[in-house]
Amino acid sequence: MIAFEHVGKRYGGRFEALAHLDFRVERGEMVFLTGHSGAGKSSLLRLIMRLEKPSRGRVVVAGHDIAQLHSSQVPFYRRQIGVVFQDHQLLFDRSVFHNVSLPLEIQGIEPRETARRVRAALDKVGLLHREKALPVELSGGEQQRVGIARAVVNKPALLLADEPTGNLDPQLSADIMALFEDFNRIGTTVMIASHDLALIARLRHRILRLRDGRLVGDEGAV
Amino acid sequence: MKRATTPRRPTGAAPRAKRGAAVPRQEAPKRRGANSQQTRFSSRMRAWGRHHRAMSWDSFYRLVRHPVGNLLTMLAIAIALVLPAALWLTLDSARLLDAELDESATLTVYLATSVDAAQAVRIEEAVSAEQAVLDTRMISAEQGMAEFQQSLGLDDVLAGLDDNPLPASIVVRPQDVEPAAMQQLAMTLEALTGVDEVRVDLAWVERLRHLAALGRRVALALGMLFGLGVLLVVGNTIRLAVESRRREIEVVMLIGATHAFVRRPFLYSGAWYGLGGGILSLGLLGLGNHWLSLPVAALAASYGASFSLPQLDITGSIILLSCSTLLGWLGAWLAVTRHLSSIRPR
Repeated sequence: MIAFEHVGKRYGGRFEALAHLDFRVERGEMVFLTGHSGAGKSSLLRLIMRLEKPSRGRVVVAGHDIAQLHSSQVPFYRRQIGVVFQDHQLLFDRSVFHNVSLPLEIQGIEPRETARRVRAALDKVGLLHREKALPVELSGGEQQRVGIARAVVNKPALLLADEPTGNLDPQLSADIMALFEDFNRIGTTVMIASHDLALIARLRHRILRLRDGRLVGDEGAV
Repeated sequence: MKRATTPRRPTGAAPRAKRGAAVPRQEAPKRRGANSQQTRFSSRMRAWGRHHRAMSWDSFYRLVRHPVGNLLTMLAIAIALVLPAALWLTLDSARLLDAELDESATLTVYLATSVDAAQAVRIEEAVSAEQAVLDTRMISAEQGMAEFQQSLGLDDVLAGLDDNPLPASIVVRPQDVEPAAMQQLAMTLEALTGVDEVRVDLAWVERLRHLAALGRRVALALGMLFGLGVLLVVGNTIRLAVESRRREIEVVMLIGATHAFVRRPFLYSGAWYGLGGGILSLGLLGLGNHWLSLPVAALAASYGASFSLPQLDITGSIILLSCSTLLGWLGAWLAVTRHLSSIRPR
């Protein structure tokens, strides 16, 4: 699903955010990405989302060499990836329902089909009863779950999450992680960047450890 | 590489599916995800049409939600449109005048007052016989008086005259309207007996024509200048709109919106601004016409003539509205395209 081959990323010529990255994530895997802040977790996710191109090496996601993608293909590439952000990136001027339906609107899915899928996704994260609410009326944990519903509503093959439990208490964090496990169980490849070491150790999935932009540990891989 | 995950129940409050359809549909996301790319062409077109409809209304509601500010923007557009439109109208009447001038590229042969009607006919025949003459028209002294009265509307003054001071004349249309050829013909005709004077109003014709050409250029230059003004007004307004929705644009680009998708609502906003400005400018033109028509009519009446200001007809109105809408759209396109490149999702 994801292959990094000798990947390096420099910003502004000198600062080396990532170096000599070499790993593969297979279809259907669930992987945690960890390391102190500034270790390169976000840079790595940004490469997969094709927000940036690698300075060296190759990043291949779902068969696409991301450096080879023409800028007009990038939107269609991104539609195959669901992303959950630490700060949710919800739109505060529209309801929960319309936040979740956004990816389907972008893809031009029929309104009736859209409504069906949005409700299914909201149901999955347990927020079906809040579909008319505005994001500001929700708690942090609920907002994060809306973000997850939006990420999975178009049934992406790959689900990325950048510190999805960053601002949540332990119980809510565990709930969110359980949700990700649910999606992984039905075949979605999941990659979660997190520095909540205690939590991810308990969950017993593969863990990639980054330090100063280098891969220093790959535990739990068979 | 792949780690065998032990199937465990999710902890705690993971939500249960209340709808039967929800869970199965979440399965096999890989294949579904790829298939949704291959939606058939017709359904893609329907989706495209749907988004256009949705965005045109959405942008319209956004305009209506802030009526005062948006009305001011439209007024600025309208003012920029009024001047070239008014000039265009003036030019249109000038074009009519120009067509008349072409007709009037004639020489007038004034006969001596001593010439009687029979002699006049013979002279006309002689004039017609000239190679360079296309046709001729005799204006007898009486006809000349009648036309003079009609065109000036000075009945009362002329009615007071005892006898007709006007000579008979022959209006000659030359083959060639070039100034040199007409001058040549005038000299030939002047040599005929019984001819008092041949008048060629060439300088006047030329001067008017140059003036009309100048007017056209001025109108074109002003039109372009003010068109640019409309582009800037709309562009600046749309730039602010893009800036105020920057977060939203970043989010939708993150989840796979194309540039066309992001651009669409702003293009509609621009087109609405242009259309609104165009309608306001029509109103302003009508108002100006109304404001000026009374004094103009009074002025014309004082000369015994009737003259009305040129007005924009249906075609002209449609052209004006189309141009303003197009300018609004173009201004928005330029602004959005310029700013989209600066917006990169974080």
